[in-house]
Amino acid sequence: MDHLERLENQSIYIIREAYRQFREVALLWSVGKDSTTLLWLARKAFFGRVPFPILHLDTGYKFREIYEFRDRYAKEWGLDLIVWRNERALEEGIGPERGRFQCCTLLKTEALKEAIAAHGWRALYLGIRRDEHGIRAKERFFSPRDEDFTWDYRAQPPELWDQYKTKAAGEEHIRVHPLLSWREIDVWEYIAREGIPIVPLYFARDGERYRSIGCEPCCRPIPSQANTIEKLIAELRQSRISERSGRAQDKEEAQMMQKLRALGYM
Amino acid sequence: MRAVIIGLDGMPYRLIADLAERGVMPNMRTLIAEGAFREMDSSIPEVSSVAWSSIITGKNPGEHGIFGFTDLSPGSYRLTFPSFADLKAAPFWEREGSGRAAIINVPSTYPATARAMNGVLISGFVALKLEKAVYPPSLAPELERLDYRLDVDSGLAHRSLELFLEDLQRTLASHIAACRWLWEKEEWETFMIVFTTTDRLAHFLWEAYEDEGHPYHWAFLAHLRKIDQAIGEIAAGLDERDLLIALSDHGFERLEEEVHVNLILKEEGFLELEEAPSAPDLEAISSKTKAFALDPARIYINLRGRFPRGSVEPKDKERMIAELLDLFAGLELHGRRVVRRACRKEEIYHGPWLERAPDLVLLPERGFTFRARLEFAAQAGGASHFTGKHAQEGAFLLVKGEGAQEVLPPNLKPGVADVVGLIDRLRQSER
Repeated sequence: MDHLERLENQSIYIIREAYRQFREVALLWSVGKDSTTLLWLARKAFFGRVPFPILHLDTGYKFREIYEFRDRYAKEWGLDLIVWRNERALEEGIGPERGRFQCCTLLKTEALKEAIAAHGWRALYLGIRRDEHGIRAKERFFSPRDEDFTWDYRAQPPELWDQYKTKAAGEEHIRVHPLLSWREIDVWEYIAREGIPIVPLYFARDGERYRSIGCEPCCRPIPSQANTIEKLIAELRQSRISERSGRAQDKEEAQMMQKLRALGYM
Repeated sequence: MRAVIIGLDGMPYRLIADLAERGVMPNMRTLIAEGAFREMDSSIPEVSSVAWSSIITGKNPGEHGIFGFTDLSPGSYRLTFPSFADLKAAPFWEREGSGRAAIINVPSTYPATARAMNGVLISGFVALKLEKAVYPPSLAPELERLDYRLDVDSGLAHRSLELFLEDLQRTLASHIAACRWLWEKEEWETFMIVFTTTDRLAHFLWEAYEDEGHPYHWAFLAHLRKIDQAIGEIAAGLDERDLLIALSDHGFERLEEEVHVNLILKEEGFLELEEAPSAPDLEAISSKTKAFALDPARIYINLRGRFPRGSVEPKDKERMIAELLDLFAGLELHGRRVVRRACRKEEIYHGPWLERAPDLVLLPERGFTFRARLEFAAQAGGASHFTGKHAQEGAFLLVKGEGAQEVLPPNLKPGVADVVGLIDRLRQSER
């Protein structure tokens, strides 16, 4: 068994285990490469027919290509797609130019809280990976959140020898992270192997491509000639730059920025 | 000799002199009478992160590597937020033989866990989370019990001055509570606390200090009175042999107008930004840009080899600097000169991190403050909802202890980087 198969098996096991345990679950699909891979694995886990809804948080600022891709494959794959928008915030004109931190909080975090409250999901699948970001390295496959979405990472159950603590008392919901062990390069190799369709923004056009996608105003392309998946994998093997370097900023930096702004800096 | 250092962030010499004189700060009045009280120069630029880094290391930014609250990741336009881990020189409490220290709320010492030390530390601005703001981590539970607040929520001031003042009081009370706790609990040889609520108060309510008819004039004075009481309490806990230092990191004065440096650079053809779908950031700097600024007025030549879209050839750098010096020397708004001094980096910095420094730093004339936003206001200058601004001149230094008058003769004007040296001399002369 090669390492991609091992990763696939582990992810599918976690996806099935969580569904068996919680039933009222949803999968958060940003339409990026990771959550699309996760969705692919969920289809495999349930033989082509995903038995739970797929949630897309629409900030209104996503790339056109993301919306097109989402709608096309929701139909093709017969998904129970739920699109959730924080309409109130959008009506008030919230956007990145009025502060990125606030924008993210209202259009993503608050929207997710609303969606969970409205549907009463007990668990949520997310396509995060340990190697994305320092704080994500501390994540668990099954990760509880309270009603304020607080993640008490200092008091998590251990997950040694793949013993998952799937039940939790008194928590608001559980986040399930089937892709936690995957690296960026694993995801691309798996996409190549499986022929998973992917948003074209990841491939180079006019010497630029996106390595990480989300909302259009807050993503920047990287210089790249990788217009095929093989070239892209070759490029990643060379690169020493972090995956999310094209993203506007980390949350902690955003908080610092906000504090400095309040005093007139920036 | 034990040493105690009390910082009053942003408090100018003349305000302290005035409030001591008027009896609002009677304990400061006593200390001024007993010690050496001098005006002190701040760092360049005159922001807390740079100034406090100089105060605690005794070094200039070319040596300690902190040039502002923000910096650029080398070889890029990526904005970074230097932290305590990026401080390239050792704070005085990390030096060999410095004894055990208790350090509270010094700006730019976050995260506390970035460096090991002999003693305890609670980080100051821009500290975000308590668990990362304490060294050792075992301090956290008691501080939580004391309702310790890392900082005032300055955002409140933009909505309600009433709520802001309430938060300011609560924050100060929690800092004093933590100070009392560590004073008693710890076996320290050096104790340092910085009161930062003073700076926040001055940013939003400087006019309340200057104008006796202002609705918050008495609230302003009451806050300083509270701090004076805390100073009195600390001073009472010391004896004749101990050293007491009170100081600020920069001065303050009335803010009349904000001046947008990047807008000036753009209008004069030095800066060009690519069309951005939203508010532009430094990544939008085009390959035609000759120079750009970071807050408050740190100017970088867009040099080929230093920046990804650098357009100025190294051989043309001097000419570009000369052009910028010309531009700023002649800059006027409403008939008033704007730039008091344009400093070339070689004039103000020295040390191993000189290469990372901005090429020019501007100091404003009285009343003006510089901003380096890329989201431009319609005009280069404009009004502000802040009423006070930092001043590079007119911070204060007060030293009380054996030999204070000798190390601080009246004709000497110390700078923030001199404080560690002064403490060393006083401690040595005692031995």
